[in-house]
Amino acid sequence: MSGGGNTIPSVGGAGCGGGGGSSSGGGGSSGGGGGPCGACKFLRRKCVPGCIFAPYFDSEQGSAYFAAVHKVFGASNVSKLLLHIPVHRRADAVVTICYEAQARIRDPIYGCVAHIFALQQQVVNLQAEVSYLQSHLASLELPQPQTRPPPITQPQPLFFTPPPPLSITDLPASVSPYDLATIVDPPTSWATQQRRFVDPRNQYGGSSSSSSAAVGLGGGNSDLQALAHELLHRQGSPPPAATDGSPSRSMSR
Amino acid sequence: KSVMNPKRCAACRYLRRRCPKDCVFSPFFPPNNPEKFACVHRIYGAGNVSKMLQQLPVQTRAEAVESLCFEATCRIEDPVYGCVGMISLLQTQIQKTERLLARTQAEITVSQIKHSQNQHSEFM
Repeated sequence: MSGGGNTIPSVGGAGCGGGGGSSSGGGGSSGGGGGPCGACKFLRRKCVPGCIFAPYFDSEQGSAYFAAVHKVFGASNVSKLLLHIPVHRRADAVVTICYEAQARIRDPIYGCVAHIFALQQQVVNLQAEVSYLQSHLASLELPQPQTRPPPITQPQPLFFTPPPPLSITDLPASVSPYDLATIVDPPTSWATQQRRFVDPRNQYGGSSSSSSAAVGLGGGNSDLQALAHELLHRQGSPPPAATDGSPSRSMSR
Repeated sequence: KSVMNPKRCAACRYLRRRCPKDCVFSPFFPPNNPEKFACVHRIYGAGNVSKMLQQLPVQTRAEAVESLCFEATCRIEDPVYGCVGMISLLQTQIQKTERLLARTQAEITVSQIKHSQNQHSEFM
């Protein structure tokens, strides 16, 4: 992520994508003189210079996004989380935190895990289809021609080797930045489905070893900033402000 | 003073408080798995989890806890992307499998054409 203030994306309308007025050194967001950032506005506290949230929550629509984040995670938890993340990666973290918060508000039971379930199911279906077709292909290439494909009930893949189970440790060491925009375009059907929760990682080996270091974020994150903008706007208008009364005063001065 | 109550749930033990009979956490955080609550508390905070659970119908809370634990674990392992990283992996896998599917379908088509050509030439 660019370290310069000019390209730090902020969550919200005008400031997103790094091109908005609030992104120039955080002028529109930080407490330097342009008013409080979206987070401090929501928390009704003074936005001090160096506010950890200011670069990412602009003063216009940032409040709505921060409301969701605060409702689910709590401002102090997010602050602690961001403090442990290098500055150049915080924007990505904010985007994913916002996504998870909004997903959790939309689906209080499964949150964004429902999306994971839907994708897993899609993978399973596709793999079954490939297995079926490969066995059909194999039958076509046998000496005795068979005009009917074999029944699908017990596909016997001959050439297809299912990919190894995924786990968090499979995150490649160096990848191009996640295309966050394409990640979060969930199908509408999963949001209303209820299913028995099975830890998705059990499908993928269940490894829980720390691999955050393996998630390399390649350079050239200006694309990611644009995608972050698209991500949050793809979900339509900013989330409604939390209606759970006055914001937490825990961080008020 | 410490009150050692072995019947406290993992949440109340972690929070060092009495575990009431109607504790919202106790059905989901048994004392033999302290890590589970520690994980969720670290990311969401006990207060937020409690609020979230109280707003849900009782029969859905178990699933909610499991999904919260999963997200919290992912976030601890990958503070930047959390479980969004897994979404990315899955999408990549879907794309690869779709390409494989298309390739296999194409191979079937080619094979069928060859087969029908062979049959035709034999007939002739």
